[in-house]
Amino acid sequence: MAWSNRAAPQALPYAQQVERDLLFTLEPLGTRGRTWITALLGVCGFALFAYITQLVNGLRETGMRDFVSWGVYMTNFIFFIGISHAGTLISAILRVTNAEWRRPITRMAEAITVFALMVGASMVIIDMGRPDRLLNVIQYGRFQSPILWDLCSITTYLTGSFLYLYVAMIPDMSIVARNAQQRGRPAWLVRFYRTLSLGYQNTPAQERRLNRALGAMAVIIIPVAVSVHTVVSWVFGMTLRPGWHSTIFGPYFVIGAIFSGTAAIITAMQLFRKAYHLEKYLTLDHFRKLATLLLALTLLYTYFTLSEYLTTWYGGTTVEVRLLTLLMGGSPYGMAFWFWAVTGLFIPLGLLLIPSKRSLGAIITASVLINIGMWLKRYLILVPTLETPYIPPTAVLHYHPTWIEMAITAGAFAAFMLLFTMFSRVFPIVSIWETAEDAPEAEKIAVKAAPTGFARPAFVRLRTLIVVGSAAALGVGAAARLHAQQTPTEPGARVELVKEIIAGEERLVATVTVAGQPLKGARVAFSVQRAFSPLTLGEDTTLADGRASVAIDSTLPTGVSGKLAVVATIVSPDKFADVQGQALVPGYRIYPAGTPAPGVPRALWSSRPPLLIVGTIAFLATIVWTTYSFVVSQLVAIKRNAPAELELALRGPLPRRDRAG
Amino acid sequence: MSMGRREFLRTGLLATGAAAGGVAVKERLVADREEAAEKKMTVALTPDGQLVAVPVGAPAPPRPPTPAEVRRGIPGRKWVMVIDLAKCDGCGECVSACRKAHFIPTDREWIRLYKKQDSPETAPYWFPKPCFHCDDPPCTKVCPVGATFKREDGLVLIDNLRCIGCRFCMAACPFSARVFNWSRPSEDPTETRPGAAEPEAGLPRRVGTVEKCDFCPDNLRQGKMPHCVMSCDMAAMYFGDENEDAVTDSAGETLRLAQLLRDRAGYRHLDDLGTSPRVYYLPPSNRRFPAPGEAGARTGKEPAPPGETRGLE
Repeated sequence: MAWSNRAAPQALPYAQQVERDLLFTLEPLGTRGRTWITALLGVCGFALFAYITQLVNGLRETGMRDFVSWGVYMTNFIFFIGISHAGTLISAILRVTNAEWRRPITRMAEAITVFALMVGASMVIIDMGRPDRLLNVIQYGRFQSPILWDLCSITTYLTGSFLYLYVAMIPDMSIVARNAQQRGRPAWLVRFYRTLSLGYQNTPAQERRLNRALGAMAVIIIPVAVSVHTVVSWVFGMTLRPGWHSTIFGPYFVIGAIFSGTAAIITAMQLFRKAYHLEKYLTLDHFRKLATLLLALTLLYTYFTLSEYLTTWYGGTTVEVRLLTLLMGGSPYGMAFWFWAVTGLFIPLGLLLIPSKRSLGAIITASVLINIGMWLKRYLILVPTLETPYIPPTAVLHYHPTWIEMAITAGAFAAFMLLFTMFSRVFPIVSIWETAEDAPEAEKIAVKAAPTGFARPAFVRLRTLIVVGSAAALGVGAAARLHAQQTPTEPGARVELVKEIIAGEERLVATVTVAGQPLKGARVAFSVQRAFSPLTLGEDTTLADGRASVAIDSTLPTGVSGKLAVVATIVSPDKFADVQGQALVPGYRIYPAGTPAPGVPRALWSSRPPLLIVGTIAFLATIVWTTYSFVVSQLVAIKRNAPAELELALRGPLPRRDRAG
Repeated sequence: MSMGRREFLRTGLLATGAAAGGVAVKERLVADREEAAEKKMTVALTPDGQLVAVPVGAPAPPRPPTPAEVRRGIPGRKWVMVIDLAKCDGCGECVSACRKAHFIPTDREWIRLYKKQDSPETAPYWFPKPCFHCDDPPCTKVCPVGATFKREDGLVLIDNLRCIGCRFCMAACPFSARVFNWSRPSEDPTETRPGAAEPEAGLPRRVGTVEKCDFCPDNLRQGKMPHCVMSCDMAAMYFGDENEDAVTDSAGETLRLAQLLRDRAGYRHLDDLGTSPRVYYLPPSNRRFPAPGEAGARTGKEPAPPGETRGLE
């Protein structure tokens, strides 16, 4: 599988060997390499065509419909965000715990994080009905929504991953720059590497700064990564759906992410090892150490899965049982679930369980199976739940992805691999300086690179920006002037309506007069005006004084005005029927006059987020971004401390490399 | 909370009246309503507290509410719906009236008619389900851009000019009330109802955005009830203002809300999910028509398009 035209290098002292072997990955591509990239570009192009079709016609091009409103795009989103955890785990945790064997793996792992995040985040945009309104999330963003939490933590994670990948690459940039110049590569490329190297020449001051920056990044990126998959799980966990509304969803997703991420890094290691002849650096020992980790994660994921489904099954809520019947019964989902359980959990478990049986082939097989299985598992978390709504629909729901969704999914994977391949064409895929530091003969390479950069004494001051938000108070005041008023009636009959207290009881009294004389025996219906039609209060017949009355219910609320609009209507005799008298009388329960309008509380559904949420997000973001600023300040210091023999190197011959020792 | 004699008598009177209105006058109901609307005058309370005489059903002076007013809702109101499952015979008029009023394409429904059976031993019944306009709406909690919002008058509406189409609200709604514009609409919504304020226009057909039952706020502003309530021949749906403690059905009969819920053991569907729906149901007891599946029962299908006559099977 020679991807490169050049022959493999000869044996040399270790440090130089490392340098030559690892720079070898940057040599021009061979035929197979070109074919690979062309094929990936083709798939990406086809996916782009599919996406444009979807943009033109709307999401009806997908298999998603009203009940199953999320599909493979969201599955891909969870899958790629999961894969992105490879970088954190392998690189940061192993760096923090000072595990020496991590050295050849870190670069790959960190790169996976960056590219998986980029692809994963773009899946959400592809899933959106209105990608043209993406900026609404900034303009109208509500911090009560887990999507905003996602936005914050993924942005933070992506920034951190870039920074982390870059900081760990600075010493290599010096080496690559020097090498590129020696090999007579284009001047712009040399300048590109040299700029990125920040003039790093391994001086004690620079080394101290670099280690400080790396240490800070490695520590801070771990909680950030945990937060990312936790809030991804909360997009589902915060809903009331069966199978999603689970308290263990955060940790379940985080473990799943590290699980699939570790499997992904093993798969990537094997691919690069074969493609670039890195057998010497990526040894069986590395694979076995990762396999131990993978075994532990397989067991953990099995445990979480058991815990999640056993409790819901044992409790047996109607809707949960309906979901489990669909998910694990005789349906296609049932078959997929058990297929996953066997090939994604049990077979890898068997392959990894016995240390002496862990051949390279077994480890790779287990990793690939886990990767496929974890995509399937995410699909099975998403779709069957959406097919199990609380109120079962009359029609049977089934989601089948269309060719558009398949093509875009294929494109996502192709784009991920393409980004990774292109990265490995430009930057050393195995960290040269870190690997060389681990030289068997404890020989340390002094990375005396070609003098670089144009170190301007630019003072970069990092400031904390304090955003002050102002809240506008909503004042509602309405004073209503109310008049009792009588509608004109036809000549002859007249109804006057008042509220009186008769024998200690509040009553509505209607006085019916005809030409000024009281009318006896008229039937009068009393009602009170409500939003859409009158509410009947009762009927009474007038006495000799023309008066009829009904008791008025003291619990009758007044509605908007603070007054009751009462109406008395003559029912009989027929010649006076429908003659009305009206009045506004004071009410008892008054809404909302008298009491200030309730306004909008800081509830989760309101337009203003609860202060606790805003405070928590602000607090966490401040910690992380302050750390990032610290790392950047270290980088600035590295650049400022660069030995100032710069311009020279661009013109004159290269200085000989010093050998530390 | 014992019921006094007077109250009891009144309840009896009202129930009898409702029964008479529901059955005897059924066929003439629509004609009656139109006739009544032409003749009768009623008093209406203007927002500034003036009492004026207006014909029943007359539209309020057309002034489209400002965006701020649309977000806040109709002042002082707290809209509420009550659905009497004992009266619902599954005719589907509400579904078709809603479809007609909101120009809803055939691939979706804002109010859905389910045939429900709580357990194998209990009788099936029809279950019309609009959006519940919950007081603690899970959909509104999760909206990232505030495109869907809860108003002070209780309504949960959607701003289709702001919605980004993430469909989180659809996943969050336990009642599956929300539907999505998967494809481009055949007509231009801005052309169809000019002058209406956007989230209240009742015509949210914009590609890539979510829509749902909106309790017809454009009707409410004009003092009219939602289309589904007005269309119900059985007078099985009530609509009103909780602040006024009153609900009205399609026959124009107004009842005390608290009393109705107390006397008829009103409940809210899946109340233990904690979303506090604004739609109450009255249990399907003492029905006066065959249960779904029995001989002579309706199908629960939407009625055929106008032109075909329908009667009780």
